[in-house]
Amino acid sequence: MTSEQTVRMTLAAGATTLAAAHAMAQTDSAAVDKAFETLKTFDWGEDRKLLDPIDQTIIATQGNAAARAALEKRLVDALAGGLSRSAQDYVCRKLRIVGTAQSVNALAALLPAENTSHIARYALERIPNEKALDVMRDALPRVSGKLKAGMLGSLGKRRDAKSIDTISKCLGDSDIQVARAAAESLGLIGTSAAAKELTQFAKKAPANMNLPVADACLICAEQLVTDGQKAQAMALYKELQGNDQPSQVKIAAMKGMLAATTRK
Amino acid sequence: MSLGRRSFLRATAASVAFPYLIPASAMGNAGATAPSNRIVMAGIGLGNMGSGDLSSFLGRDDVQYVAVCDVKRDVRNARMNQVNQKYNSTDCKAYNDFREVLVRGDIDAVHCATPDHWHAIVVIEACRNGKDIYCQKPETKTLREGKLMIDAARRYSRIVSGGSQRVLEDYRGAVDACWSGSKGQVKSINVNVGPFPTDCNKAGETVPDGFDWDMWLGPAPWAPYHPHRCSGSYNIDGTSWRSFKDYSGGGMTDWGAHHFGGATFALDVRELEPEEVIFHNENGRKYATCRFPNGKLLHHNCPGRGNIAVEGTNEQGPSKPVPSYAGTGGIYGDFIDCVKTRKKPFRDIEFAVHTANVCHLFLAAYELERSLKWDTAKQQFVNDDEANRLVDVARREPWVI
Repeated sequence: MTSEQTVRMTLAAGATTLAAAHAMAQTDSAAVDKAFETLKTFDWGEDRKLLDPIDQTIIATQGNAAARAALEKRLVDALAGGLSRSAQDYVCRKLRIVGTAQSVNALAALLPAENTSHIARYALERIPNEKALDVMRDALPRVSGKLKAGMLGSLGKRRDAKSIDTISKCLGDSDIQVARAAAESLGLIGTSAAAKELTQFAKKAPANMNLPVADACLICAEQLVTDGQKAQAMALYKELQGNDQPSQVKIAAMKGMLAATTRK
Repeated sequence: MSLGRRSFLRATAASVAFPYLIPASAMGNAGATAPSNRIVMAGIGLGNMGSGDLSSFLGRDDVQYVAVCDVKRDVRNARMNQVNQKYNSTDCKAYNDFREVLVRGDIDAVHCATPDHWHAIVVIEACRNGKDIYCQKPETKTLREGKLMIDAARRYSRIVSGGSQRVLEDYRGAVDACWSGSKGQVKSINVNVGPFPTDCNKAGETVPDGFDWDMWLGPAPWAPYHPHRCSGSYNIDGTSWRSFKDYSGGGMTDWGAHHFGGATFALDVRELEPEEVIFHNENGRKYATCRFPNGKLLHHNCPGRGNIAVEGTNEQGPSKPVPSYAGTGGIYGDFIDCVKTRKKPFRDIEFAVHTANVCHLFLAAYELERSLKWDTAKQQFVNDDEANRLVDVARREPWVI
């Protein structure tokens, strides 16, 4: 199947001019239609190759925004139509590659449920669109425990500065998984505002959060140095020099200060 | 101030700031190593490869194992018994959760031989807790993980060794030819390796008693238990975790870590990452080429060329000494020696990650079926939102890196 043929089929083969090409496009279109039909009842144990025409369409529609949008819509519609967990898993994996703002609401609907939260993030975390961040940020108060930890991790990885206030509130969560993920996320965000939240929390952190917070501070400081904010980084490193810190943290902070000082 | 051996190992996290070495003789007697001077170790992930690693480390008299960890109860108990029989004691403890191992203050170093999707999390957590770590290859599952692992190793000044013994030992013909100058100016090497990883949609079966399936999956997407999904078999034919995208890069990373590692060693580009991967499609025959910043080429499955086939100008050029392991006992001895001396191991995590990145860059080009440019400093594809989606995956909760 060539790119041209697949693009034609995705656009419902409406603009073909050659009879032969049109016939081929119809054949391929039928294969894709069949794959989407299969998807409706697809479940664990079935042959994954049955869905290959959809994968091939993803490759064939690279660089063709209209064809991609049409394909994305079909995936989103399938997701909204009710699918098995295996089929949801498949669609989210594809939306990781082709998803845009058009997919975000359908994926957001999966975020609060234990069985689908991760696979929704699997797509959302990789969609380079602000709306993907918005829905994860909005979903945070509606989830707890592991799901919240996962969402915090995704927001941190995306360095979502708008989430800092919300994430900071999770530092004191009674669930250590959540508290730890919040610290890690602030470290990854790595701004002076994130540093401030980490520093404030460090002063009252319970013992089981000392190392996660120290580690987050070190990561945050490295990012600050990279971003040219040496003074803020140095302040963070100095906070880690106390005798209450494990030796590897104190030494890492000392190294960090040296690196910050010598970095041009 | 007296500085015990363990305190020394922890304090030498400062080796960058305060470089000094401790000779092996200072760590024990000239003959047998005193128990108090042994490197205290734990093993995490003790199936096929992990069991082999354990036996290799356990055979050294300068190592003492005190903990083993595996999500399969039968496996961890068998390895615990193996260790305790070796020492004729009951000191070695068995764990299901690696985090409980890594917070132990009496452990200096760990070896990790979990499936690939766990490597980055375990290595980073080990560094965070001040442990040195030997990690089986392929060291990473995604491009993003590599930099995080290097950063953690450097941040905490830990010794982190990758796990391919074949890089030094299996391709000496090509390595010696290139480093001796007999190939002249080396232009390219071809590697033939595969297969690609596949999706796994196998139907669920009952989880065996004593197997923590959720922990085995860890950061990977949830899926029902199936023995082929998690088998540690070395086959890459759909009957082992090495076959499947969620846990491995298939043969491209499993054997690629060896072959590409040997090829980049021969090319002398271990310190570099490719800046471009060029996708070729010649009449349906697909292959690819990585181009390094110094112009050297690393082909994958180039038609008509053999595995580790070197292309050079063939006039005699200058020779240079071939780097090798420290200590005795191959790659395991190299790691232990470096734990003591704080030197970088032969398969330092940075070199290992560069090899893994070659594998991942090839996989990205094949997945998208087009050429890609890679910005080493930013660890991103250049102006390519679609390719950048492949740099990492969202991890299943609660795992965050």
